[in-house]
Amino acid sequence: MNAVREPIVGGYVYVPYEGYEYRVFYEEAGQGIPLVCLHTAGTDSREWRHQLCDPEINQNFRVIAFDMPRHGKSIPPVGFEKEDYRLTAKFYSEFIMAFCDALGLENPVIMGSSMGGNICLHLALNFEEKLRALIAVEACDYSPGWYISWLHHPHVHGGEACAQSVFGLMAPQSPEDYRWETWWYYSQGGPGIFKGDLYFYSVDHDFREMNDQISGNVPIYMITGVYDFACTPEMTEETARKVKGSEAIIMEEIGHFPMSENPEVYKEYLMPVLEKILAADREPAKASAETGA
Amino acid sequence: MAEFDTQWMNAWQDEVNNDPTLPLIGKYFTTDFLLGFGDKEYVVSVRRGRVERVTNNLGIETPWSFALRAPSESWDKFTQKVPPPMYNDVFAMAHPLHGSLQIDGDVKVLWQNIRALTWMLARMREIPDRAVVEERATRV
Repeated sequence: MNAVREPIVGGYVYVPYEGYEYRVFYEEAGQGIPLVCLHTAGTDSREWRHQLCDPEINQNFRVIAFDMPRHGKSIPPVGFEKEDYRLTAKFYSEFIMAFCDALGLENPVIMGSSMGGNICLHLALNFEEKLRALIAVEACDYSPGWYISWLHHPHVHGGEACAQSVFGLMAPQSPEDYRWETWWYYSQGGPGIFKGDLYFYSVDHDFREMNDQISGNVPIYMITGVYDFACTPEMTEETARKVKGSEAIIMEEIGHFPMSENPEVYKEYLMPVLEKILAADREPAKASAETGA
Repeated sequence: MAEFDTQWMNAWQDEVNNDPTLPLIGKYFTTDFLLGFGDKEYVVSVRRGRVERVTNNLGIETPWSFALRAPSESWDKFTQKVPPPMYNDVFAMAHPLHGSLQIDGDVKVLWQNIRALTWMLARMREIPDRAVVEERATRV
């Protein structure tokens, strides 16, 4: 058999958080520094399939992408049918860390896009001692305008409305097949989940008064595409100017979903960042070797 | 810059009605909506994903469900083969941060048909050169 196989392996882990055990799906590939990838609002870990499979990435990093509860293959908690789902910065940031703890990850790098990028600021503020670096993709301190009632309305097809509302966030230069694949992921979220995530993205995430509280001890790489109209390059640059230890990197000819809309272009910008993280990892070893410690 | 005159609207109507995908994704897209390019305004009558009629004679006989109005300069960017950032999509132009496009009226109809509508508007990027457009009789 010469079947083409990907190196991705999937699994389920029970993540305890505030008295409840969430059954969480994750995928991983590679070995090395843990690199935990966060999907965007209303979708799941499939967005990261290219980075998981890339040998140049997974040769030095243990790439892990997980589905937040209510997303992808992570089932919602019991009683979800009686809730109006709204993601908060508190739950999101603490759950990411609970997931890392459940897998026993030490000093992981967290890489998230969109809402996964915005949460990186909260992670830097509250969990810096547990993190190696943050790669905040399409992130800024405040991204209003997306908590839209039509995204969860009985008279509107949620799948098509959610998917189409984000389609234009991708660049016209990105390959058609990858753009429609991203559309497809968006069409598959549970009812109200995209909107509930956007509560965090556009409402609960207002970091404007907190930018200067980040110590700068953990490097934050803020990478944004020029076609992102939800978080423009200017918004990212403005935030990076205020956050210690951060660096803004602007990508040409790509939009809000770089990892899935155009993985080749995204890689050009991601690899130098990963190189910096690897170099920082080698530094202490080199330093201790020199001193004979 | 594109003229957004009646001939241009007819050329767009032809692109829409020759598109093989719209009858599939626009099967239930039936409404009359307003398109405003600066001070040029048209009501587009859509029936089952096809543009049946375009009129610029607006009045009480031409009601519309929702309206998309933007300066001609914005539409000119939107209709380019490779539109620039912030102008490649209706929601990009309508985003409160950028604000070059105004959406009015019964937006529920817009959201119900957003996939077919987006596809329909994207056909504006396939309108042939001006010389070809001018050869056609106006039907607006």
